[in-house]
Amino acid sequence: MATDYASLRKNTGFSISKSTLKNGTASGSILQNLPTPARPVINASDVVVPEGYTVEPVMVGLSFPTDVSFAPDGTIFVSEGGSSWPTRPYMPARILVRKPSGETEAITMNVQAGPRSVTWHNGDLYFTLKGGYHMQVVRYSLETGEMKILIDALPSGGWHEPGGPVFGPDGLMYFGNGSVTQQGVALPAGFTVDLAKHPNAHDVPGQDVTLTGNNVRSRDPRMPYPYMVESGAFKPFGTPAKKGEVVKGELFCNSAVWRSRPDGTDVELLAWGIRNPFGMAINDDGELYVTDNDFEEKGERAIANDPDRIWHIKKAREPFGSVKTPDWYGFPDICGDGLPVNHPSHLPSRGKAAELLIENPPKWAGPAAFLEKPHSCMCKMDFCRSDAFGYKGELFVAEWGTLAPLNSPRPEDLDHGFRVIRVDVNKGTAEPFLHNKTMGPASSVGGGGIERPVSCKFGPDGSLYVLDFGVAKVTPGNMLAFAHTGVLWKVTRK
Amino acid sequence: MESSTKITLVELDQETRENQLDRAKAWFDNLLLTQSSCRKLVEDTVEKIEEPHIKQYLAEMALQEQEHEEKARELFKIIGREPSDMRQLLGQIAGKARQALGDFIAVSGSAKGPWQDLHQVYLSNFNSMGAFAVAEQLGLALGIPAIVDTVFPVIAEKSTSQLLLQECVLEMCSKSILYHEPF
Repeated sequence: MATDYASLRKNTGFSISKSTLKNGTASGSILQNLPTPARPVINASDVVVPEGYTVEPVMVGLSFPTDVSFAPDGTIFVSEGGSSWPTRPYMPARILVRKPSGETEAITMNVQAGPRSVTWHNGDLYFTLKGGYHMQVVRYSLETGEMKILIDALPSGGWHEPGGPVFGPDGLMYFGNGSVTQQGVALPAGFTVDLAKHPNAHDVPGQDVTLTGNNVRSRDPRMPYPYMVESGAFKPFGTPAKKGEVVKGELFCNSAVWRSRPDGTDVELLAWGIRNPFGMAINDDGELYVTDNDFEEKGERAIANDPDRIWHIKKAREPFGSVKTPDWYGFPDICGDGLPVNHPSHLPSRGKAAELLIENPPKWAGPAAFLEKPHSCMCKMDFCRSDAFGYKGELFVAEWGTLAPLNSPRPEDLDHGFRVIRVDVNKGTAEPFLHNKTMGPASSVGGGGIERPVSCKFGPDGSLYVLDFGVAKVTPGNMLAFAHTGVLWKVTRK
Repeated sequence: MESSTKITLVELDQETRENQLDRAKAWFDNLLLTQSSCRKLVEDTVEKIEEPHIKQYLAEMALQEQEHEEKARELFKIIGREPSDMRQLLGQIAGKARQALGDFIAVSGSAKGPWQDLHQVYLSNFNSMGAFAVAEQLGLALGIPAIVDTVFPVIAEKSTSQLLLQECVLEMCSKSILYHEPF
């Protein structure tokens, strides 16, 4: 067994296997009286979609699902479980497989944080995993059951999520990795996500950056006497930065988007400074878009009114292997609207106002292709490629919904998200597509409609499948999520 | 609306659900044992301490421990099960055993007086707090908010008590170990 920290913190892979799934089939009457009091009723008629479309549940009882994908024969793959949002409780990390016959099985993996995506591509499944100090991109052969870790060097162990992988018309694999820190500096808020398990995790820039030396003071909850410490950008919690200090940029950074060959070789960094590139989609023209979530208005580096956004990754249009300098999209110093985090419009009404962390930053690669209301929490998304479904060429985006009042004190933020929108990426506009009769999750507004859409993808049958994470209850002090309350919905044009 | 698609119900069929509730019940029995042990230990320790402030802290804690035990019993009703009375009895015996263990540790560690009992309360409260915290996670995993709502205030009170107990144990250790004096 390794005896040095560097070796011990290297991921060593994990076991993966298939198992049967304990399930049944449901009728309408069962859906009116489910055994989960957190979500006792599922009722598609409480979900609003445009005239001419119908909604129906396909899978009920999912536990913290994160993504959905399809084989050409209509087999559905749902990634779920692990230690997710929040990190407790862990539910079995696995990919649920539902065949066109209705038969099911589970691809189970002995790994803590679990799968954050699933993508079918050329007969194999690709997924990303969090857990430990590195994010991983994995390929799993449906034919042989063999798994290969393709990418295993992306610094993680904190707040934000892997993105993709998605595959472009060029055959290349595109993937992302969110920031370790919530607010640009490792801080004690929500310590179960980062500090408790990964006290040495930190952000890594994609280019050389010079630091301003603006450190953030907070209490250190790990200490027997929780005294004040200073933490700097791109440093582990409790390590201050010095003014003028240069942090070297690395290929394997975070808050970033890359591409590589499908086997994970020839990795090329396209962009960094993207806080949480969880949702990624490429249209038929090969244009890559990623979602990004806004800063929070709380704590020791609080930032107000930062819009959610979708970035157009322009470097993805340049020939493979030719990108020498990645684009920078603003994290940790620029909000989605292009204004610095210390601009008067972003000063917080609670918490300590943010100071800039990077001196002479790279040129900002914005503006965003689309700006959304703060805390809508845009997640996974897909372009519509079908005339039959309608809205061809538009980007359908799942909005998980706000964590206010936990992450924002503003009453207007309380109902942002909880829907699927369709975005015209050329015009930068959007329209709601799927939501409850009253905006908000069913557990708050009543009825048996949706809770928190986390992914939406078009299936080979032309329907839009909306993956609903389930019930996550938010208070000013914490968030609690209930397992077995997730649902896969199917939206079909009549 | 009648669905045209066959709906898959993941692990919510009656057999799977009943099995998982039975397993949760087994943990709740353990929780009750742990909590009974803690309550018994706190009650007995109050009598052994003379220092008025620590005695008052523990007396108030003993009242809370009774309420926590009631909360532990409520968990069984939420999942439609009955607690094992034998486990509760075992818990009280375990509380006594912990006092004996404390006496042994005290002798071997040169501690004197009721400090060793206080130290055992500190460990026992931590153990019980952990058992309630596990119950909270089971409530989340089963999709049952009533479990979470029942135990969250208990965990919060025990967490507060844990800080208090830690301070008392660390403050008084020198008097007990170096001076061999009771308090």
